[in-house]
Amino acid sequence: MNSPAIAFVRRHGTLIGVALVVVYFWLHLPATFLTGRNLLNISQQMSMLTVVASTMTVVMAMGDFDLSVGSMASLAGVVAALVFLAGGSTAVAIGVALSAGLVGGLLNGFLVAYVGILPFIGTLGAMTVYGGLAFWLSGGKTLFGSAIPHGFSDFARSGIPLGFDLTFPNLTLLALLSAALVWVFLEQTVAGRRLYAIGDNAEAARLAGVPVRPLRFASFGLAGVGAALAGLMYASRVASANPTQGSGLMLDAIAAVFLGQTMTEEGEPRVLATLAGVLIIGVLGNGLTQMNVDSYVRDMLTGAIVIAAVATSSLGRRRGE
Amino acid sequence: MSLLSVARLAKTYGGAAALRDASLTIEAGEVHALMGENGAGKSTLIRILAGVVQADSGEITVAGEPASIANARDAYRLGLRFLHQELNVASRLSVAENIFLGRAYPTRWGGLVDWAALRDRASAALAALSASHIAPETIVGRLAVGDRMIVKIASTFVDDASAPGRIFVMDEPTAALTSEESERLFRILDELQRRRAGVLYVSHRIEEVLRISNRITVLRDGVSQPPIATAEATREMLIERMTGRTRLEAAARPRQSTNARVALSVDRLTGKGLEEISFDVREGEILGLAGLGDAGGDRLLRALMGAMTGGSVTIAGEGVRPRGPAEGWRRGLAYVPRERRSEGLLLSQSISDNVALPHLNRLSHLRLFLNRLAERAETAAVGRRVRLRATGPRQRAWRLSGGNQQKVMFARAVAGAPRLLLLDEPTRGVDVAARFDIHALLREIAAAGAAVVIASSDREELLALCSRIAILTDGRLSRIVPAEGLTAARLLALCYGDDRV
Ligand SMILES: Nc1ncnc2c1ncn2[C@@H]1O[C@H](COP(=O)(O)OP(=O)(O)OP(=O)(O)O)[C@@H](O)[C@H]1O
Ligand SMILES: [Mg+2]
Repeated sequence: MNSPAIAFVRRHGTLIGVALVVVYFWLHLPATFLTGRNLLNISQQMSMLTVVASTMTVVMAMGDFDLSVGSMASLAGVVAALVFLAGGSTAVAIGVALSAGLVGGLLNGFLVAYVGILPFIGTLGAMTVYGGLAFWLSGGKTLFGSAIPHGFSDFARSGIPLGFDLTFPNLTLLALLSAALVWVFLEQTVAGRRLYAIGDNAEAARLAGVPVRPLRFASFGLAGVGAALAGLMYASRVASANPTQGSGLMLDAIAAVFLGQTMTEEGEPRVLATLAGVLIIGVLGNGLTQMNVDSYVRDMLTGAIVIAAVATSSLGRRRGE
Repeated sequence: MSLLSVARLAKTYGGAAALRDASLTIEAGEVHALMGENGAGKSTLIRILAGVVQADSGEITVAGEPASIANARDAYRLGLRFLHQELNVASRLSVAENIFLGRAYPTRWGGLVDWAALRDRASAALAALSASHIAPETIVGRLAVGDRMIVKIASTFVDDASAPGRIFVMDEPTAALTSEESERLFRILDELQRRRAGVLYVSHRIEEVLRISNRITVLRDGVSQPPIATAEATREMLIERMTGRTRLEAAARPRQSTNARVALSVDRLTGKGLEEISFDVREGEILGLAGLGDAGGDRLLRALMGAMTGGSVTIAGEGVRPRGPAEGWRRGLAYVPRERRSEGLLLSQSISDNVALPHLNRLSHLRLFLNRLAERAETAAVGRRVRLRATGPRQRAWRLSGGNQQKVMFARAVAGAPRLLLLDEPTRGVDVAARFDIHALLREIAAAGAAVVIASSDREELLALCSRIAILTDGRLSRIVPAEGLTAARLLALCYGDDRV
């Protein structure tokens, strides 16, 4: 059961699979797939997911989930649009939307850490509440028009010129910056280490002096801010806000973290691995779209790949006891 | 013909040899003890017999037939029964379900589980261990650790007509048992011997091995030595064979100076299962907590670590009431919980992550950024002091042998130069030599001015270490006696409530 070949496949199976997928797209889309423009395009399409998946990694490092991030993203976009409609400035809109994310996230954290509700149930409830709130506030309509300032919507459409007619999108930059911050937090700080301790054995961590409740509380707050930021990025990109625009983010973010977990030594969530997971989902979506594959087939394939990746990585992952 | 014979077994884990050349035989009606230092390869040998891991080379013969054991089912069919070192129970299932876990439940009406029969058979299995105080319908997660072990033992001994148990393999079964519970286990072993079964018995307790075994095989660095007849073995000889050290000389118990400052003063403390407990511990003192079964030593230590509900605690003259372990560690308390697996270890993290966890504020830059170099240096330093045997501070905790995992827990507690050490069975599963060194280290820490409170079901350990021993009875402190001149038998009598001093 434990031959080196199996160990290799287990640890690197996901990457091998991705390499095969990339080669496949490259052969079938020689002119458009592996081009600088397309890669930058993918990175922009994936920027919202990158932010949400990174902060989701924080929550999942503790062994928890946040199912409400998608509706929180929608809600934040709607809140920003409403502030604009009421005549608020860009700074105020961003501030209010991010605060909404923080408050919503901390509410989740309160339910999980202090009330003691299972994260799955607590954030499932929060998901419907925040989603409903977004509908209610927006009246179920897409909010757009002249009220959204150009400065806000231009941000997503511009970037840093790279020459050769290419620009490095602002959204990509923002996403990488967020991921880098989360990386520093999880990998280089005392709090990050404590989160992983909670994820490994919460009772042992508590008895070893880890302030489990405050950390869980704060981490959910961070996930809320990440979701709100992604919602703002989305609103900026489409210069509008509607109450469902963030809804696909939650499942993709969890899938990205899971994909990443298949690549780490002990199967724990790590930000860099999550980024690889995001990339896989992004490349797959982009390639299949270019090949005119229907979106539901795309979803099926993404799901199948997550399952296959997790299955290979658990091959023989059995601790001798 | 031997019941079981293993020859020249070898096993490496990713380049590191756990077992190099291990051979032994077990005859019908024999209790064969397997001894060796922590990390010598005892559990590895047992995991191979159980089909949990595969040997790289070597042969296994059961009743004269070459056997290949690819999984737990194969081992079961061959009549092998196991009690593994780490207590794995299904904590949400009932006692009865746990006892029959992995076997056919009794059925009726063509396939439905016959719950009444299951309960009755579980009761019978428990009664055979004189453990009728455990009700078969109790959820195992609610039982005390010793009782969980008894459930596990009962499950090992349940009869099965289709594959009768012939060879019973036990990896440190008494480590989590009180001496009374151990006695019941020994009676069962006698019974097995009369029925001509074979027993492979791993233990670090030399007295116990000398008493109950017929032969002893010593494993050293994965290599077995020829078996010794127990009748010819002595304590010194076994220690030398296991460790190469000829003598373990006990240092004098630290003498208690009565004018030392009071380090910990507890006044009418109450908590879950604790009633109005009051005592003082002075700096430099080691106070033992003794009692029968579930007397409350573990709960008292938990209460001091923040779970108290009433009363007052003064540490180094300051009235405090730690609200939780985080505050406890910050104030210079250090705690080794009773169950290393469920309450102590981060199994998938490295040794240094495990050791540094309560000390991260000190071992970091600005209490914010990790300082991995400092963590590893500190881990290496305390690791040496507790004789931790590992490939390095980055080795994952789950890869360590049981005794070495316990040393990680101890290393965590002593790493921060604590003022008050709260230890719950700190040397459970630790080998003789390392235990000796840990005791010496504790005396040294106490001599440097720290106070130590230690709960242990091992009365010899308390007598070797403590200057005074507090006797607990059902969550109450019945008395505190000086350890000077006390014998284990006398201490036991005191635990039973005998009040002649
Ligand atoms: N899964 C594993 N991966 C790597 N090394 C391992 C693994 N399991 C055991 N080892 C190593 O093999 C050696 C033997 O371990 P084993 O558990 O057999 O010791 P032991 O004799 O049972 O010790 P103890 O008395 O502490 O229980 C140890 O050095 C241990 O670190
Ligand atoms: Mg062992």
